[in-house]
Amino acid sequence: MNRAMLRLSLACLVMFALLLINVTYVQAFKATSLASGPGNVRIFNEQFQYKRGAIVAGGTAGGITIAESRLTKGNIYQRYYPSGPVYAPVTGYDSIFGATGIEAAEDKELAGTDPRLEVHNLINLITGKPKLGATVYLTIDPKAQQAAYAGLKSLGRPSGLVAIDPKTGAILAMASYPSYNPNQYATLNGHRLDKIDLRNRRNPSQPLLNRAINETFPPGSSFKVVTSSAAFSTGKVASTSSTVSAPQPLKLPNGNLLNNDAGEICGNGHPQIIQAFWLSCNTAFGELGIKVGGAALRQYADKFGMNNSHLTIPLQVSASVFPRVTDPSLTAFSAIGQFDDQVTPLQEAMFAAAIANHGTLMRPYLVSQVQAPDLQTIQNASRSVLSQAVSQQVASNLQKMMIQVVANPAGTAHDIFMPNLEIAGKTGTAQNSSTLDDSVFTCFTPVGVRNRTIAVGVVVQGGGFGAAAAAPIAQQVIKAYLRVP
Amino acid sequence: MTAVATHSGAGAAADPGALAPMPRGRRSTELFMLVFAVGVVLAAYANAGLGLNGKLPAGLIEYGAAFAVLVFAAHLAVRRLAPWADPLMLPLAALLNGLGIVMIYRLQESGRGGNPGTRISTMSTSTTLYQVAYSAVGIAAFIAVLAVIREPRVLQRYTYTLGALGLVLLAFPAVLPSSLSVVNGAKVWIRIGGFSIQPGEFAKLALAVFFAGYLVAKRDVLALAGRRVLGIDLPRARDLGPVLIAWGASLLILIFETDIGTSALFFGLFVAMIYVATQRTSWLLIGIGLFAVGTFAASRLSGHVGARFTAWLHPLTHANVFCTAAQIHCVSSYQLAQGLYGMGFGGILGTGLGHGQPFVTPLAQSDFIITAFGEELGLTGLMAILLIFGLLVQRGLRAAVQVRDPFSKLLAGGLAFVLALQVFVIVGGVTGLIPLTGVTTPFMSQGGSSLIASWAMIGLLMRISDTARRPAPQPIQDEGMTQIVRAG
Repeated sequence: MNRAMLRLSLACLVMFALLLINVTYVQAFKATSLASGPGNVRIFNEQFQYKRGAIVAGGTAGGITIAESRLTKGNIYQRYYPSGPVYAPVTGYDSIFGATGIEAAEDKELAGTDPRLEVHNLINLITGKPKLGATVYLTIDPKAQQAAYAGLKSLGRPSGLVAIDPKTGAILAMASYPSYNPNQYATLNGHRLDKIDLRNRRNPSQPLLNRAINETFPPGSSFKVVTSSAAFSTGKVASTSSTVSAPQPLKLPNGNLLNNDAGEICGNGHPQIIQAFWLSCNTAFGELGIKVGGAALRQYADKFGMNNSHLTIPLQVSASVFPRVTDPSLTAFSAIGQFDDQVTPLQEAMFAAAIANHGTLMRPYLVSQVQAPDLQTIQNASRSVLSQAVSQQVASNLQKMMIQVVANPAGTAHDIFMPNLEIAGKTGTAQNSSTLDDSVFTCFTPVGVRNRTIAVGVVVQGGGFGAAAAAPIAQQVIKAYLRVP
Repeated sequence: MTAVATHSGAGAAADPGALAPMPRGRRSTELFMLVFAVGVVLAAYANAGLGLNGKLPAGLIEYGAAFAVLVFAAHLAVRRLAPWADPLMLPLAALLNGLGIVMIYRLQESGRGGNPGTRISTMSTSTTLYQVAYSAVGIAAFIAVLAVIREPRVLQRYTYTLGALGLVLLAFPAVLPSSLSVVNGAKVWIRIGGFSIQPGEFAKLALAVFFAGYLVAKRDVLALAGRRVLGIDLPRARDLGPVLIAWGASLLILIFETDIGTSALFFGLFVAMIYVATQRTSWLLIGIGLFAVGTFAASRLSGHVGARFTAWLHPLTHANVFCTAAQIHCVSSYQLAQGLYGMGFGGILGTGLGHGQPFVTPLAQSDFIITAFGEELGLTGLMAILLIFGLLVQRGLRAAVQVRDPFSKLLAGGLAFVLALQVFVIVGGVTGLIPLTGVTTPFMSQGGSSLIASWAMIGLLMRISDTARRPAPQPIQDEGMTQIVRAG
């Protein structure tokens, strides 16, 4: 019987060999594809079993924590957002169903799964220390952010604001109103989360919408910054003191009439372009637009960062739109920020930032540094030029004109004039389908304080005249950032 | 004891001039390996506690001492009752049993969904304690087998008694009302009061003895009579009777107890034993053919079996399906998929005990305990566990090869094979190699019946091994050229 017994042993050997081959296949070769299998909750659950990295606003020294993980009962980490709605457009949320904002964009770093953190994780695994996520430091200035949110909230209207350091592109403030409390999304209770999320999504005031970068508004007269830039650059206007024609009304090629805001005469009808700019005459810039042409306008709009649907900061930014216009009558409307022009508050800030930085537009960014749990820096902000919007000469022309918008007693934003701090800006009052106009303001500090300058873009939906609603908030943010009383 | 180990009797036959050297019992090896096994189990237990709570588990000393006392009691019993038995079987079985307890403790501690305090529905807060108690009963059964059965051949006398007992045990749940026999969809239990017994586990042992006794008696007629067709020796039609009866019985289990796993075990056991007894390939082919026909028919007729096949072929497609008892043709592979996900999550090195999420998989403490090990100990640990099972099987087969008495040989071979087959059926099932069927993982799954039966089986194998390795009685005095030569 021993011969048969040997064969039986062989059968047992084959069975065990099959088992070993199969488990090797499952655990060594199929593990990656199984990880994304339907209903696989393990990877997802795991994220609550170790400390996710914090998000800090204001750099490595003296910054404030705006998102962190705290240990709750059952040894589970829960996300906590100390400043809630103020930073919600920046942090986004990290929930059991998904993440938004920086939480999503920097998830690999925060979760510690980034390849650059693998060595740290391996060392922790060997030394038995728990896995930790990296800390993400943001360029956001807490004081500017606080001022921005407080300003928007005081108006109580749908609005967004972005402030940029023109020299670097670092985003100093990014606020949106109405906002939401990301702490609601930190719950580990799926049913509750569903309810909260549904309520927020059905809320007509759209609190989850990040109006600073994901909502577009007509730029109104603030677009005259681009129209002027195009006019100077293409040589249609020689200098700030060149006169331009500003009839009231402007008869368009298609027979329609273009009026100034209140139907007023612009200067003497033949003002210098600088005067037309501080008075924000529609007819002067409408006609300039026709002269420059739709194609050139679009070219300069693109140089200022418009029509770019691939911009990430690292959050995805909605494209600001300058349409392809060939019809001169429509070009006139486009040149004054009407027709189909659409911009985000970030784009408004980029208009001013490009002028402030002598025509060079820096790529806006939010993350200043990523630090591994052992405080070793694994990523520094990479500053880069997004585009050369205009020449240094044109930028200096624009700066001169924008200063007059605030400094000249007849300027549209003279209300925010401060003798101790120079602000250059351009107001916009954009007609929309509702009764109240959108209030738009783009501005920067030409000199700044202690070598610090800032560019701000604000849009307040239904805020009325540009200088009335948007400009004071921009002024508050500037004062907060430059620590000017 | 001398230093030279030889097969008993062989030396004497080869060299009639010298005294046969005394083979070693190797009990010291067993003791050393047992200390090793207990050490591994205690380290795993401490590791699980550290992984779960960051501190050594409460009762490390008490549980550890209890476990050590149990296995050393078994060792002392072997020293006294079966001194020549295989030295590795006891440490291997103890290691598997101990690791099973550690995993059950770990699952009990983390509770449902990883929340300590909320227990997994099929576990109580004292499951670990029960498992330790079952281990004690199992080791008691092991010692009892060694103490009562001093010579494996005596079992041959009870061939038909044990055969009848086996069939009754097997069939009992089928005739009981469902309320007393169904747990988790399988009608293989007897529920009395708070206890439930899986009689099939014990039937397996009884039927192995019956098959061995029956086949040893009938093997000549089964082996020699018949015609040769296409190079295969076909048995006579009337000799097909026992095979058909075994086939019919296993099909009945399949249909009435909806338990394809147990059915496969019994039929596989029978076919393997009849093959070893007769050495006729035809029996093997007939057996495999009959099983294939039966399973195919069952998969067509029974929604339960058909669903298992579909789930096996597409484990991830049906991963999010949940079926109620009323949905007969509903296919859910949630459990299978979660088990596979767990293994994938563990990867090659595993998450470490207490760091994974084996509690996500339903029944991780019983049917799916292997995937729990795969998750927390990784491919490395799972391979080690499979190799421990493989070694245990190999030790059993070795005893079967060594022992001379045909009945003992057949019994040992059958028991070792059925252990291998059971590991193949359950591990293959939960890892997606073959369709999933609910048999227990020997020594590891939560529950007493399987554990006690497995220990009893190790008792039988060690008894047979002891018989095989026991040296021939030495002549009491020097009788010159006269030798006692045992018939081999």
